[in-house]
Amino acid sequence: MKAFFTLVCILLSTSSFATEQAEQLFNQLKPSLYQIKLIDKASGEKSSIGSGFQISEDGMIATNYHVISSYALHPKKYRVEYLDSQGNKGDLTLLSVDVINDLALVRRSVEQNMPFFKLSSSAPHKGEQIFSLGNPHDLGMIVVPGTYNGLKKESFNERIHFTGSINSGMSGGPVVNKQAEVVGVNVATSGDGIGFLVPHDKLVNLYKGFMEKPPETIALQMAEQLTSSQDKLISAILSSPWHSKQLGDKGLIPIIDVPYIRCWGDSNADKTDALILTAVANCSLDENTYISSRFFTGAMEIEFRTMQAKDIGANKFYHLYQQQISRAGAGNRADKDNVTEYQCHHDLVMPQSQAINNKTIFCTRAYKKFPDLFDVLYLSASIDKEKQALVSHFTIAGISQSNALAFTRQFMEAVSWK
Amino acid sequence: MEIIIEEISRNHKLLHRHKLTKAQINIGRDYHNDIILADPHICPSHLSVDLIDGQWHLTDNQTVNGSFIENINEKKHSADNHIVHDGDVITLGKSQLRILFTDHPVEPTVAFSPFESFINLMRHPAILLLSITLFTLIAGAVFYLNTPTEINFSQLLVPTLGMALGFAFWPAGVSLVSHLNKHDARVMAQFGISFAFFNIMWFTDLLESVAAFNSASGSIAPIFIVMSSIALAFSLFWLNGYIGFHMPAKRRIIVAASMTILLFGGSYVVQYSNKPEFNPRPQYNSTIMMPSFLVASSSSVDKFVKDSEKLFERTQKAARKD
Repeated sequence: MKAFFTLVCILLSTSSFATEQAEQLFNQLKPSLYQIKLIDKASGEKSSIGSGFQISEDGMIATNYHVISSYALHPKKYRVEYLDSQGNKGDLTLLSVDVINDLALVRRSVEQNMPFFKLSSSAPHKGEQIFSLGNPHDLGMIVVPGTYNGLKKESFNERIHFTGSINSGMSGGPVVNKQAEVVGVNVATSGDGIGFLVPHDKLVNLYKGFMEKPPETIALQMAEQLTSSQDKLISAILSSPWHSKQLGDKGLIPIIDVPYIRCWGDSNADKTDALILTAVANCSLDENTYISSRFFTGAMEIEFRTMQAKDIGANKFYHLYQQQISRAGAGNRADKDNVTEYQCHHDLVMPQSQAINNKTIFCTRAYKKFPDLFDVLYLSASIDKEKQALVSHFTIAGISQSNALAFTRQFMEAVSWK
Repeated sequence: MEIIIEEISRNHKLLHRHKLTKAQINIGRDYHNDIILADPHICPSHLSVDLIDGQWHLTDNQTVNGSFIENINEKKHSADNHIVHDGDVITLGKSQLRILFTDHPVEPTVAFSPFESFINLMRHPAILLLSITLFTLIAGAVFYLNTPTEINFSQLLVPTLGMALGFAFWPAGVSLVSHLNKHDARVMAQFGISFAFFNIMWFTDLLESVAAFNSASGSIAPIFIVMSSIALAFSLFWLNGYIGFHMPAKRRIIVAASMTILLFGGSYVVQYSNKPEFNPRPQYNSTIMMPSFLVASSSSVDKFVKDSEKLFERTQKAARKD
């Protein structure tokens, strides 16, 4: 009985300790936390808000790229402003960005050395309690305790899986361990109390890079980051094993064996009145690099579809089949200011294996602000079987010409009939 | 001396022709006249034409609305005491008369066009029925092939007959216009020719698909087929004009060409005006047909990749332009 009582006491004390600790941490860190506002110069009103935290005594503040993206792209239209815990306001200058990891460094002017967040030197342990700080929905600074659950393995660019609710407006806020050291930066939520954080080492790299050599211009820096990121991704994909897998009765499709490309399947086998039996495999890269609210890049989708005519002739089958392939669209959101219109090329193509004959369409559009990057779209439809078809399709956003063509070549050779 | 007096419409189309041998001709609304006109603006005894010393003189009998000489070169003037020339046009009331002498020159004989025998074949009831049936069957087949769900005969019947009726409006309309213009409508010939051409157009549609399916982008075969459908439309309009309206060959060509431009240019303008300023979707040719329509040989992956390279240069150039 006595032992039980002690146990209850310990349990109670740890939970109250956590709350107390959060409170203590918050009070200790409050002076280095900021709300970051983007002010539209013409209207004088804020156009977006986020959080930020000071990481050096001389006024350097870290936040998310997406919080200040409008300013990075249109510096004449906006200005960036901070609001600290005492209600002081001031202007910020943009120093450096990391679009791939959604980070940005800005600076405020300081009169004397100020307290700042220390960046952790090591990653937390799985299950460790960590605390996310930020200003959700402009409601005031809050602290959200949660759990570190390691890196999200389905993601090509590392993200911490955080169990704890992150809301919009908290973007750019720090996540600290019990020692008040920054272990990550709030970046996204998938709802249901699951949040994603940028690991602190990305911020360390950005900071060090800036101290060594500040970027010439933000636009150039972004272009370099996008180019090297797609280089890294495509060379990883091209050097990974491509397994041949059967789709439908006779189709052979490549499945790229990397954890960050995940596939889903569907078919209409349950629809008894369908004229065509269809099986679809859909694979995609879980990345979508934010450039602006109307322009995302970095996405990759691959889709395979087999079709088998049920009670219809070849002529009708091909008419319906054509309707299926006539409306392919881009895999990423992009607007007139950022990309050109697509230009397409089509031909009848047979791979070296001669195991399939396709009508193949390849389209591309160029990026206007990042030269040498393109969105590509590929669509290939088999035309050699009377009542069977295999469609292979992919879109890749933000890829260089040589990578796009190398991927296309490998992909074209990998799709065939059994 | 004989004289010919023609009643003509306002746009100088012949309504009636009178050949007279009298030396005095009376024209008016009452029944004593040699030429009786029903126009209420004409007086009962309106105008007389008299042969005096080998010349015809006009006399206006002090009428309410007068008689006037229409002359292209001069202003219109009163017809009273006018000496008639060959081809003079006289306005009385709201009617017009043209006076011709027997030595008035006539146009050279128009030979039957080589199309005449084709037109005669197409207007034959059996052939006409065959064309319309063929058209309806093809329309039905096209509906059937493009319907993604199961469909029965009666579901096909309505849109198919609707389409045949819709297309029948064209020859019917041309016939009506030709009839209203006091030409011989030749309804059967209009229908025969129009449906024959509609059927040829189905065929060029098929050819267009085969060409698009079998060629790579940048090939001229599809352009050639498009040109041929423009030529077909022109021929149809020309024949519609030939059957329904008597007009000089030059004018017929101009009319047919303008209608062709209106049709193709119009649809181009509609497409162009519907085009958004920026299209985020790719525009590509997705024509595929069943393997029996495949005649071209396929390219290698190498060639395809090499051809695709050019797109990157082209889009980059477009990006730099903005």
